[in-house]
Amino acid sequence: MQEVINELLETMMSNQVSVPVIQPVIDMAAQVPMVGLGISFILWTPIFALLICPGLSTLGIFLLFFPWIERKLCGRIQWRVGPREIVPWLGGLIQLLADTLRFLFQEVIVHKDAHRPYFLQFAFLSFAAALLPLLFINAGAVIAIASPYGVQLLLALVCLFPLFILGLGWASNSRFAFIGSVREAFMYFAYEIPFIIAVLAMVILFGTSNPMLIPDKWGIILNPIAAFTFFVGAAMATSRMPFEIPEADQEVAAGPHVEYSGIAFGLIYVMCYEKAYILSALMVVLFLGGGGGPYIPGLTVHLGDLMGIVWFLLKVIIVMTTMFVLRTIYPRYRLDQGLTIGWGAMIAISLVALAWSIVFVFLQQGGVL
Amino acid sequence: MKKVTVQDQGLVEKTKCHAAAIGVAMKESVYPLTATVQYPRQRKKMPDNFRGYILFDPDKCINCWECAFICPANAIRMKEAPNKKYYPTIDYGKCIFCHFCIDSCTDSALRTTKIHDVAYKDMDEMVTLTEEMIEPPEIVREDTKLVEYLIDDKDLQIKKTREVDSLFMDEVPPSVEIPVVSQCIDGASCIGCHVCEYVCGSGAISSSIANGVMNMAIDTDNCTGCGLCVKECTMQILKLVRK
Amino acid sequence: MEKEEQDRNMHILRTGVLSPVKRWSAKWSLWPCHFVTSCCGVELAHAFASGFDGERLGTLNMGISRQANFIIVEGTITRKMARALRIVWEQMPDPKFVNVIGACGQRGGIFWNSYNITRPSEIVPVDFFIPGCPVTPEGILRGVRAVQDKIALGKDETTIKFKKVALPSEVGQGSTIPTSPKRFAPTPLVKVDIPREVDWDFGSTTVSNLKSQLEGLYKSITITDKNRIAIKTAPENLMEVARKLSDNMGIDHTKSVNVVDVPHEQKFILEYMASSYSNNDLMPVIITLFTEIERKAEPEFPSITPLWDSADYSEREMHDFFGIKYEGNAGMNAKFLLAPETQTPLRKDFKLDEENYVFDDSPLNPKIDLPTSLEMPAPTDLYDEAEASDEFIILVGPHHTGSGHLRWILRIKGDIIVDVTPDPGYVHRSMEKIAENRLYIQNVPLFERANITDPFNMNLGYVHAIEKALSIEVPERAKYIRTMLAELSRIGAFFYDSGIFSLFTGHSTGFMYVWAIREMILEATVRLTGSRCTPSFIIPGGVRRDISKDVLDMTGNFTTAVNKRLKKFEDIFINNPVFIARTKGVGVVTKQEAIKYGLVGPFLRASGVDYDIRKVEPYEVYDKLNWEVTTGDAGDCLGRYMGRYEEIKQSLSILKQTVDALKRMPRGDVISGEVLGEYKEASEDIKGHLYHAYGNLVLPKGEWTSVIESARGTLLYSIISDGDSNVPYRVRIVTPCWMNLRGIVEASKGERVADFWTIYGSFGYFPPEADR
Repeated sequence: MQEVINELLETMMSNQVSVPVIQPVIDMAAQVPMVGLGISFILWTPIFALLICPGLSTLGIFLLFFPWIERKLCGRIQWRVGPREIVPWLGGLIQLLADTLRFLFQEVIVHKDAHRPYFLQFAFLSFAAALLPLLFINAGAVIAIASPYGVQLLLALVCLFPLFILGLGWASNSRFAFIGSVREAFMYFAYEIPFIIAVLAMVILFGTSNPMLIPDKWGIILNPIAAFTFFVGAAMATSRMPFEIPEADQEVAAGPHVEYSGIAFGLIYVMCYEKAYILSALMVVLFLGGGGGPYIPGLTVHLGDLMGIVWFLLKVIIVMTTMFVLRTIYPRYRLDQGLTIGWGAMIAISLVALAWSIVFVFLQQGGVL
Repeated sequence: MKKVTVQDQGLVEKTKCHAAAIGVAMKESVYPLTATVQYPRQRKKMPDNFRGYILFDPDKCINCWECAFICPANAIRMKEAPNKKYYPTIDYGKCIFCHFCIDSCTDSALRTTKIHDVAYKDMDEMVTLTEEMIEPPEIVREDTKLVEYLIDDKDLQIKKTREVDSLFMDEVPPSVEIPVVSQCIDGASCIGCHVCEYVCGSGAISSSIANGVMNMAIDTDNCTGCGLCVKECTMQILKLVRK
Repeated sequence: MEKEEQDRNMHILRTGVLSPVKRWSAKWSLWPCHFVTSCCGVELAHAFASGFDGERLGTLNMGISRQANFIIVEGTITRKMARALRIVWEQMPDPKFVNVIGACGQRGGIFWNSYNITRPSEIVPVDFFIPGCPVTPEGILRGVRAVQDKIALGKDETTIKFKKVALPSEVGQGSTIPTSPKRFAPTPLVKVDIPREVDWDFGSTTVSNLKSQLEGLYKSITITDKNRIAIKTAPENLMEVARKLSDNMGIDHTKSVNVVDVPHEQKFILEYMASSYSNNDLMPVIITLFTEIERKAEPEFPSITPLWDSADYSEREMHDFFGIKYEGNAGMNAKFLLAPETQTPLRKDFKLDEENYVFDDSPLNPKIDLPTSLEMPAPTDLYDEAEASDEFIILVGPHHTGSGHLRWILRIKGDIIVDVTPDPGYVHRSMEKIAENRLYIQNVPLFERANITDPFNMNLGYVHAIEKALSIEVPERAKYIRTMLAELSRIGAFFYDSGIFSLFTGHSTGFMYVWAIREMILEATVRLTGSRCTPSFIIPGGVRRDISKDVLDMTGNFTTAVNKRLKKFEDIFINNPVFIARTKGVGVVTKQEAIKYGLVGPFLRASGVDYDIRKVEPYEVYDKLNWEVTTGDAGDCLGRYMGRYEEIKQSLSILKQTVDALKRMPRGDVISGEVLGEYKEASEDIKGHLYHAYGNLVLPKGEWTSVIESARGTLLYSIISDGDSNVPYRVRIVTPCWMNLRGIVEASKGERVADFWTIYGSFGYFPPEADR
């Protein structure tokens, strides 16, 4: 028994998240038998990635506070204030907590035309499924599963989202949900190809698809066209504004979400933020130098891996904010226009991005760059 | 005649417009032209002619019923007071705040306030009796700041001052007072129905029949000029004339 | 039952260990279900837009009933809407709360005796009532706060406390109760062709021309006023006369279809008011083509739609109101505007409740016969029929984020709209019937409620008809004030439509920006008149009172401030390439179609017809100011919108010109002495003399028709007076939105599904105005 624990401890100790500034504290705590095991368990990189960052805790905090950032910023752009009165001196920071709790205690209505098991299952499953890609994303040097095919796996999991949205729409058995689901399916085909090509371009450029091995270079400078395609693709994938076609409130009454209430809706509602979080994280990894950032004397050394996480989260917030603020800038495209953009301009641009990467790699190998 | 035609946007034009739209959003996120009045903590200043809840002064009322007659929503109904006079009651479940009643009130017995934000628990409470319309009511207020919209020749300016605005104004008398009294213009046509006498609330009309001839007298000092007798007269022989 | 329901909601929040958390979260997360039922929705939008920003309180407007927990019932609930309200309420998850705003939703407000309204409190349990007409945004937010306090503190209280003061008790002279001020003639003389001597040369030549052309077909041709000609025919000749007018003179559309019920003479007078868009000389002329038919339960009359398609919806409306069957009109087998169970309410034998001027024991809430079944009739036949031909039906509205207060039945094939059927009448508040029971002056605020986004023009049209009848000349200063106010409300209505349009295209910033501008307009309105949306400021003979210098200054400044903010709106919305992609070439209405379907206003001009009543038949001071009519060729959504945008720039210029003129002018009379009579001194301010001067206003007998260019197009009022009663015998209102309804339907056919909302938005459709 003791051997097993020791072996486990050894494995864990060999792959710890290093935070020099609190290392003495950890060392001290490690002397205490069970606490030491617990701390090393949490600081074990895969578990840390899964539970703390970029995994569940960070996501949870994001879901609670990011919508607030979005609502405040949109409010500001729209000459208003945004949520505030709940705690006036904090600018209504905990608004989303109230909303979440309210949804939690609200009745969940399953209407009689709905396919009851799927109606409920899909709401919860979609939330869980949206978590999976988090396993393959690295925040700086922290990753749950480092795989040489990390980016591909991530993409494959990201492409699962629409399936669940289709499921939601189908189980709802409502006319608007039906139209919304069909729109989602159409849009899925429109953005997926250019989106994947853009990622492919970066994989070629970096010569690896292991997120851990991607250098801290800014892909957006090396291949801005791919970055643009990726960003637009991500906006389409998460139904952000000019492409908010499947959920168009004024047209199909929130599409697949139309029949959901209570916590089931709450989960679906945050799912779109989850999606945005994952795609933003991927964008940060591929294009914005991941956890890399300028050297800050004092901090960088002491924080160790945490510094990478901080940079990573900062960049994610910026990307997500940009993605969400699009809704204050743009109206919505029509379905056929969205498809034209996806199948036409976007594919063309993504192919250009691919060509750019190939040429870039050639030049690099030829020693020109 | 001006013809409006919209040109197609070329690629350059489109890019410019995209940039302009994004530019506005970026600029507004830094220096927003916020126009928000943060009610209930702030309150927007309303002008003195604002049409809000209505107050009533029974001492000035001449009992002319005109507020009830002109009310387009039939929100004003007259209730008999202990002194046998009829005073208005207002049903805020009907009132549309057109203030035709105030503009009809000859002696400014009715006046406006700046109260307009009230929530009632149930509909029966919305009927405000005469007794309740005399003293200014109290409303739930949470405001500590007064906000004024100032529009100068540049833009909308929002002026915030730390004060609690009074919602009650001094009453505004009619711009011109036109004292009138009732007068019988064709005594010979009188049929002696006494309607004018019965409807007069101030006891200014007295009539007697002598020798089959109606003898009617209007006491011009007591006559308030309410015009009820003129309205009621079956033969239309009464008229309001200048005092 | 209601009490129980309410208790149930509070019970859910009060029970359980987590009760404080539940209450706290529910308090700060009241998401109002976007249930726009009437014109209070305008002020609701103000409460949640940049001016007051209800989102601060945690109340985020949510379009979908399943995700909301709070309904703010915005004013009138008509019989048709009652069903929708109940269904929406049932759809919402517990615990849920209901606030009713606006007098219409309480005891009916100005529509208290309408045949088509109900009381929301009898349909759903209500937590708070907020008075006002419309409620101010502060009132709406106060309601939200009241509900919050109720949830969190259990404080279920009215937020106003009156102090009771004893009334004077010295007993004076008692008096009897006076009779009603309204006076109805027992056997009114109803004629629509009373001749009038006018100085109108073109009229006499036209009449002689008409006489020669219609030889043997007409009974009489009369000039009833300047630019108004009435042609009386026998019932069987009417169609022939219309055809002759159409072929020979270019009379190409109807402005109004009207029926007058004359029970004591056992007849209906059927009128068509026709005019021309193609013949420039005849543009200002309105030809009233009328005939008399026997009054019976369901009289039949041939429809004029084969000739003038623009009469289609108005004929259906008359079918609802009077039960007249227009043979050949497709909509004669069902009610169009009214709930299915309603009788023919505009017949004279259908009586409304009379006013009660005395506070007595009569019940405060008279009984309302609610529709027996609260189920929304779904067109099941249509579903089967559509399915058979591989099509799909979607019902949009009356509760839908993009529907407004009416229902659209869209029949789609793939992504293409095959057919659109409108189902209006969800805010039909029976103005025409109520107007027959009110004094002339009381109808001023009544008609204004049809469109509170454009209140001054609504007033102006009605007042014009009265002034025409009485031949009153309005003082110069009042004319300038009226022009200024009319343009102010035109600008306001445009921004309203822009806001709705940008929401329909999914652009919330556009909505917020124009609503901030509208907040300035309302600020100007409130300082000018004392009310934000419903000023009732224009009265026959002038305006209620003169306007002070500093308010004029502010109104003048307003134009510059608007231009500054408009620049931002232009950059972010109007020039936005996505917006242009959505609207350009979508929903095209050609010139011929526009004339055929009788479109009006800027939407007609966008299709290339140069017709603006401000130029065609100038009123107020429009002929003295420097401005241009805007037209366009495209006839698509973008063309319609940009045409109006250009027009608003002209309006801002007119506004500036009138303000400057008013500043130069000395203060003086603003009400015509002719209408004041004995009370001439009150000509600067009506305060204290309104009832004296207007209470007993009687119009000379005949039909008095006025047309003005309101924000969304031609607004027609036609008052029929018997010359004896001090209430109108019949008032016909044709609002621009009612005429444009057909345009939306026709423009949508063959377009893509998402385009429906762009087309709908581009027409600036305001349902309360259309339904009246």
